[in-house]
Amino acid sequence: MPSLARRLFARPEAGPAILLLLLIVVFTAINPAFLSILNISNTLAFTVELGLIALAMTLLMTSGEFDLSVGALFGLTPVLMWTMFNAGLMSLSMAFLVAIAVAALIGVVNGWFVTALKIPSFLVTLGMLLVARGTALYITDGFPQRTWSAEGQWIAELLVGSVRFGDLRLYMSLFWFVFFAILLHYVLTGTRVGNWIQAAGGNASAAAARGVPVAQVKIGLFVLTAVMSGFAGVISSIRTSAANPNSGTGYELEVIAMVVIGGTALSGGRGTIIGTVIGIFILRLMRNGIVMIGVPGLAYNIFIGAIILGMMALHSWLDRRNQSGG
Amino acid sequence: MAEELVRMVNITKFYGRVKALENVNLTVRRGEVVGLLGDNGAGKSTLIKVLSGAVPATSGDIFIKGARVDIRSTSDAIANGIETIYQDSALVTQLSIARNLFLGREPLRGPGLMNRLDLPEMERVASALLREVGITKNIPASTPIGALSGGERQAVAIARAMHFDSDLIILDEPTNNLGVAETQGVLQFVRNARDSGHSCIFIAHNIHHVFQVVDRIVVMRRGTVVADDIVPGQSSVAEVERVITGMDH
Repeated sequence: MPSLARRLFARPEAGPAILLLLLIVVFTAINPAFLSILNISNTLAFTVELGLIALAMTLLMTSGEFDLSVGALFGLTPVLMWTMFNAGLMSLSMAFLVAIAVAALIGVVNGWFVTALKIPSFLVTLGMLLVARGTALYITDGFPQRTWSAEGQWIAELLVGSVRFGDLRLYMSLFWFVFFAILLHYVLTGTRVGNWIQAAGGNASAAAARGVPVAQVKIGLFVLTAVMSGFAGVISSIRTSAANPNSGTGYELEVIAMVVIGGTALSGGRGTIIGTVIGIFILRLMRNGIVMIGVPGLAYNIFIGAIILGMMALHSWLDRRNQSGG
Repeated sequence: MAEELVRMVNITKFYGRVKALENVNLTVRRGEVVGLLGDNGAGKSTLIKVLSGAVPATSGDIFIKGARVDIRSTSDAIANGIETIYQDSALVTQLSIARNLFLGREPLRGPGLMNRLDLPEMERVASALLREVGITKNIPASTPIGALSGGERQAVAIARAMHFDSDLIILDEPTNNLGVAETQGVLQFVRNARDSGHSCIFIAHNIHHVFQVVDRIVVMRRGTVVADDIVPGQSSVAEVERVITGMDH
């Protein structure tokens, strides 16, 4: 079996998986409440909202691009939805669809700037971050929108309704996360589109020469990322009963960190949804765990930075070893 | 004499005010391997770029199997059965051999909506193609291109061109940076491609490599064709060198 073990450890997900297990063991050893039902329930609720964005970002980064406007869209989309609904313009479900459509349009604009005007996605989405955040602040005068009228709405139940298994409370958002994780893993690894996504990120000119519609693939992924960011923002706003124009600030970097820790290459061409799911849990458990074991929460970034550096070194070493056939 | 496959007629190419090609004519017949030689700046790369759709000609016509065609992009060239294999740029190193072979033309299975790759079929065909092109080492078709040697990468690119029935395979410096054994391997891949009915244009700086594999040599100098009927065996390497450098007058 040594060759099986060797193959397993050569996978980009192996390092992050071991780290995740270590974190769970260490945090639980120091504070057994880490694995309590209440803590698992709370952690899962928040984890999957950022996780939804990270899943879409994995595909986008595999295609060689990334999106810094995700956090701003996480804030803007629910603000749009609640503003339209509270003003009596339309029903909540219609407001949801319109807000998601606006997010999709922003994704199209991002993709068009990157593919047609050949501007790096860093600059395009940095600009869009400011446009989207500025719009959210402008239309709300900087104040949170009231969302308490969500109770009893079928769309609210569909997005964040919860079920209880004894003390364990699970939100519908967890279902959405699992659904999209399975779907996008399948798309990336088992479909023709997945092959095109990897080729677009690995060698765009070679892919284009083979007839792969590189620009359309990238625009589609910008739309997917924007829609998932808006979707996650709406879920968060209903769960917390608040649509704050500032919510999601800084999420873009945390999401990119989740994706690269999981083993997706920042330079494109290689991506893994399984790795991203592990990366999501590493970052969220770190945030939760270091507080539970008594480390000041302000020290969180030190640990995250160290993990990113460590994981990058590991992935780089694995890459070199695989390339040399060792 | 074999059927004419490609005919380039009076191809002229300007880069700004610089004339890179002047009234160049080139013919390749079916099943023929043509060596294209010339010093740096002779125009052979530009000529190949015109034929492979990388740059448009300023004037001139291209005929494939007797019919005039417009080649404005690499995709146009591929659609017309012309495949160009560069040293490194034709493959995606992160993808497996099988995924590279079928890139853009992946076979699917199951309901169309599922868009599901037929990976077992892709890997089966890829393994058979690697054997056909002459790779004797047992390399799984799931191996990423990045793990292959330079010669093996050339073999994958040639295998892809053969599988999708490219009539003409253009090899641009395929033996650059390769060791002796790997070079012999690539030359054998070219012979195998010819034996299965494909035509090739073979560009290399090393005349000895060209002599081992081509049926006919075309020499370019300063943007024009100065010889197009040199047959290895009837001319020596030294004679060809003199034609390339212009010392034959």
